[in-house]
Amino acid sequence: MIDGLIILLLTVLITLGAVVTALWRGPFDKLIGLSIITAGIVPFVVMRGYLDVAIVVALIVPLSTIIILLLLGRPVQ
Amino acid sequence: MLEEYGRILIAAALTWILFVSVDIFWRLPQKGGVSGAKAIGDMIARRGGNRNGGWMMGNIVSSPDASAGTLLAACGVFVAGIPGGIAAALLVFIGNRICHDPGFAGTTGALIATAVITLSTQFGFIPSDFIVGTVIAILTIQGLSLTKASHLLGRLWRWRA
Amino acid sequence: MESLIATVICLLIAVYGAIRAVAERETLARLPFINVMNFGIAGAIVLILPHPLTLVAAAAYFIGSTLEANAIASAYAKRGGT
Repeated sequence: MIDGLIILLLTVLITLGAVVTALWRGPFDKLIGLSIITAGIVPFVVMRGYLDVAIVVALIVPLSTIIILLLLGRPVQ
Repeated sequence: MLEEYGRILIAAALTWILFVSVDIFWRLPQKGGVSGAKAIGDMIARRGGNRNGGWMMGNIVSSPDASAGTLLAACGVFVAGIPGGIAAALLVFIGNRICHDPGFAGTTGALIATAVITLSTQFGFIPSDFIVGTVIAILTIQGLSLTKASHLLGRLWRWRA
Repeated sequence: MESLIATVICLLIAVYGAIRAVAERETLARLPFINVMNFGIAGAIVLILPHPLTLVAAAAYFIGSTLEANAIASAYAKRGGT
C-alpha cells in the first residue's frame, strides 16, 4: 500500500510539472516546470535500480537548462 | 511507531540548529554569494523580509551550503556509515567548487553532521531519521513563510555580527 | 524497502514544495519552494534504494538541481525578467 502511495506521489509531481510547463508563459517559468517533471521521474528510475541512468539524467537535464539559458541570453540574429 | 515520529522531530530540530549555526558561522547572511543568491535575497527584502536573512536563504537555494552538507551526510551515513559521511563531505566540496563557491560551509556541515549522526546512534536514532529531519528543517526555513523565516535568520545573524 | 514512513514524508514534502511553487506568482519566489522539493527528492532517492552508489545519484541530483536553480535566478536577475 505504501509502495502505491510513493508511486502516486511521484505521478502527481510529473503530471503537475507537465501541466504547469504547458500553462505558464515565461521561459524561466517553463524551465522551472521542467525541473518539477525531472524531480518526478528520477526516483522512478532509481526504483528500478538503474542508478547509472539516474545519475546521467540528473546531470544532463540541469545542464540542458543552463545551455537553454545561455541561448536565451544571446541577442536574436 | 509513534516513537519514530518523535525521533524524526528531534532529528529535525537537531539538524535545524546544526546547519543554521554552521551557515551563520561562515557568514552566509553577510552577502549574497553567487549572483543567484543575491537576486533571491533582494526579492525577499522587497517583500518585506530581512535582507541578510534573505541572502542566507538565497545562498541555501543557489549553492550547496551546510543544509546540503547535512542532508548528503545523513544519506552517506545511512548507506555506508562513517566512510559514507566522509564521501558525502567530499561530494559536497566538489559540488561547491563546481558552483564557483569558494566557501566551506557545505563541507564542514557535512563533517559535523556525520559526527552528530554517528553519535546519535548510541541514543537510539537511526540515520534515516536525520534524512527526513533535514528535509523537515529545510521546509520550515524555505517552505513556509519566506519573509518570517528571513526575519528569524536576520535576528540570529545580528547576534553573530 | 525499509523506512517507508521516512520515504513517504520526504515525498509529501516534495509535492508540497511543488504545489507552493505553482501557487506562487513571482518567478524568483518560486525557487525556494523548488529547492524544498529538490531536498525532498534527494532524500527520497536514498531512502528508496539504500546502496552506496545511491549516494552518488542523490548528490548528482542535488548538485544538478542547485546549479539549475542558481542559473535560473541569476539569468532572471540579469535579464530583468519576463
